[in-house]
Amino acid sequence: METTFGMINHVLPRSFVDGPGNRAVVFVQGCNFHCLYCHNPFTINFCSDCGICVQACPQGALRMENGRVTWDRNRCVECDTCIKTCPSFSSPRVSRYTPQALWAELAPLQAFISGVSISGGEVSLQLPFITAFFEQVKWHSRLTTLIETNGYAGPQAYLPLLPVLDMAMVDLKAGDDQTHERLTGKPLAPVLETIQFLHAQGKLYAVQQVIAPGFTEDKDSMLQTAQLLAGIDPGIRLRLLRFRPHGTSGAAAEWPSPSDESMENLMDVARACGLTQVERSL
Amino acid sequence: MEKKTLAVPFHEFENFTEGLTPGMAAMFKQSVADTIHDRSLIYEQKRDALAGMAAAALPYPPMSDEAAELLESGILCILGEGPAHFYPRYAAPDYARLLQNGSAFLELKPAGDLMEATASLLTAYKYFPCEALPVFIGRLDELLEPYIDSLPEDLARKVLRSFWLLVDRLNPSGFVHADLGPAESKAGRMLLEVDRELQTITNLTLRYDPQVTPRQFALQAVGNALEVTKPYFLNHPAMLKDWGEDYVIASCYNAMRLRGGIYTLVRLNLKRAAEYSGDDPERFLDETLPRIGKYWAEIIESRSRYIIEDARWFEDNFWVDEGYLQQDKFSAYAGVFALAEAANHFSQANGKAEARYGWDAGANALAARITDRVHEILEANPIPACAGTGGRACFHAQVGITSDLDTTPAVRVPSGQEPELYQHILTEAPTHRWIMGGVSTILEFDQTAAANPAAVLDIIDGAHHAGIRNLSIGSATSEFVRVTGYLVRRADLEAHQAEKALRHSSAALGAGVMENNPNHLHRITRKV
Ligand code: SF4
Ligand code: SF4
Repeated sequence: METTFGMINHVLPRSFVDGPGNRAVVFVQGCNFHCLYCHNPFTINFCSDCGICVQACPQGALRMENGRVTWDRNRCVECDTCIKTCPSFSSPRVSRYTPQALWAELAPLQAFISGVSISGGEVSLQLPFITAFFEQVKWHSRLTTLIETNGYAGPQAYLPLLPVLDMAMVDLKAGDDQTHERLTGKPLAPVLETIQFLHAQGKLYAVQQVIAPGFTEDKDSMLQTAQLLAGIDPGIRLRLLRFRPHGTSGAAAEWPSPSDESMENLMDVARACGLTQVERSL
Repeated sequence: MEKKTLAVPFHEFENFTEGLTPGMAAMFKQSVADTIHDRSLIYEQKRDALAGMAAAALPYPPMSDEAAELLESGILCILGEGPAHFYPRYAAPDYARLLQNGSAFLELKPAGDLMEATASLLTAYKYFPCEALPVFIGRLDELLEPYIDSLPEDLARKVLRSFWLLVDRLNPSGFVHADLGPAESKAGRMLLEVDRELQTITNLTLRYDPQVTPRQFALQAVGNALEVTKPYFLNHPAMLKDWGEDYVIASCYNAMRLRGGIYTLVRLNLKRAAEYSGDDPERFLDETLPRIGKYWAEIIESRSRYIIEDARWFEDNFWVDEGYLQQDKFSAYAGVFALAEAANHFSQANGKAEARYGWDAGANALAARITDRVHEILEANPIPACAGTGGRACFHAQVGITSDLDTTPAVRVPSGQEPELYQHILTEAPTHRWIMGGVSTILEFDQTAAANPAAVLDIIDGAHHAGIRNLSIGSATSEFVRVTGYLVRRADLEAHQAEKALRHSSAALGAGVMENNPNHLHRITRKV
């Protein structure tokens, strides 16, 4: 069997907000959405090895080798000059991992975490790698596995992953097709199918929605989202994430963050639709 | 003038063999008068300070010149115990016996219900046999569970609530300590609820064992810790290995035998000892520490024997006569602090100042070797009085007093210099290995933790798995701060600091009082 490689943007050894308990989070590179409010735009595209960032790096941490840009982790001071210079929303600080190598990096954290979450970027673009990596996790440990996905790949895509997947969090960017397209450039239908499918498989941990002004920060929008979910199962956990301009680019950088009051009101709307587990971020 | 209000002025080591001499009488009188006239102290504080002065007028129990020299140099120190401490520093009475049998001395009948049980306990605390402060108030869940169903639930809660309030109001100190767990119980759950509601300063430890403590109960305790910085999460399986079942946690985080106690705490300043020994860590480990160990044991022995043989503390003592305390369960602490500075001293001396404890594998390894070696020298110097811990002094990590400058409490990484969380845990864990007498690592979390207590429990489990014995969990937004080992209300601390700024000449009083008469901190700040 040929080895699969994962393109990994970075690994966070500790997170309290990416699923149950304390979790290590692996951020993969590459996304098929272009959300207006993307908080990690540099994870959207794969690097084309154009070399522009190599010149820009003030630390000499980037080099071209055989037509490929390489990154020296030890020299890097995480100044982010490279990702600000990159013309194609990518990052040169992406590492190629085998499933075994990624497990080797996470294994020492085992005693401190409940599990591993994979976020992005978009996990569904690297499912063969993630399946192989989760096989490693399950083989070597008691840890739980979780993916955070936009669901756009549709049910079939997740099928091979299911035996080694414990939980999924699906982003439902908006509850109506129009807003969804406006925000992401993509239709809503496949996402809903994925939510239904993962729920039917008993793998749906939560559905998340970023509450952004002008898109999802309004009552009607929340009604649609909550009704959709309540129609599937009122017990589905809905997590509302407050939009933060931090990390975004373009127009979104100017958007305000929804107030506590606005967040609470939307939670009430969701609950009034019958949803029993509505949470929000700080 | 600097020492005008110092509670224990005869700590001058040049006089320590003779105690109060005729030449010092005028100064003594002046100190007594100053204490009486001090308008910042309430009556009880004056009374205790005066008693301390009187006892401090006695000479030290006999010791060799070498031992005296180590005290004088500050390498060893007896904190504020005074030259001839006549009672044990800590005790851990078996209150279960008192509740079951009643007490002839206190004229208490066996407790029949929850009200009688809590009334008996409060009575017993009042007569606590050392420090005028009940540093151990029992394994409360175990003690009260048999009575919890003697009243309807809402009434039981009310009784617990007023009991818990009285514990604090009668003994307002972060050194008053109750133990819970490892098993879950109705009394345990209720006490956590009441503690969270009342937010008193009384200290709490959960003896946590993931195999025994139900997850729900542990999560309740995590929720409390994030709100009120207690209970401590004690690694019960690790403690069981060293102590067996009959141990308790008292005072700030001190382990001792149930029905036992601790005569004295003689602490070693590892920073000074390291500096004294020069640039070579091997010399420190192989020569300096073993040499100190001998006199350390001598001082501990001499002070313990004074309590037993001279003050005859175990005789005519109802706590002993009625079986709540037992001499052969007592021991004494050999405490260490400033491990960080000791390790860093050798890095610096060898031209690697950047190789700091917490950050450098070599410095971390040296720190662990230092604690290993201290354990070995304690083992090598028998002290018959320490019967409660196999005739050896009990290894303790001392949190220091606020007047310690340039030293980090116990075996901790200096506050503010902690590395990333896991690294922090993995740095301190190996140093906890032998320190069965009390040690802790402090972890503070931000707001996201409150929404995910399971994540904090994961980290607690990981830390215990790594060998951490005891964890203090807190949140950056809590009303409480763990100063070194004990809790202080943020507001009290600020008031205390404000007061210090105004009357900086008496900063020493505040500092000394905080550690040695800890209940005073709370009162000083509470009354103003
Ligand atoms: S963040 Fe990018 S530009 Fe900055 S040092 Fe690292 S590689 Fe270079
Ligand atoms: S990260 Fe961006 S700028 Fe750098 S080589 Fe890749 S595509 Fe070019």
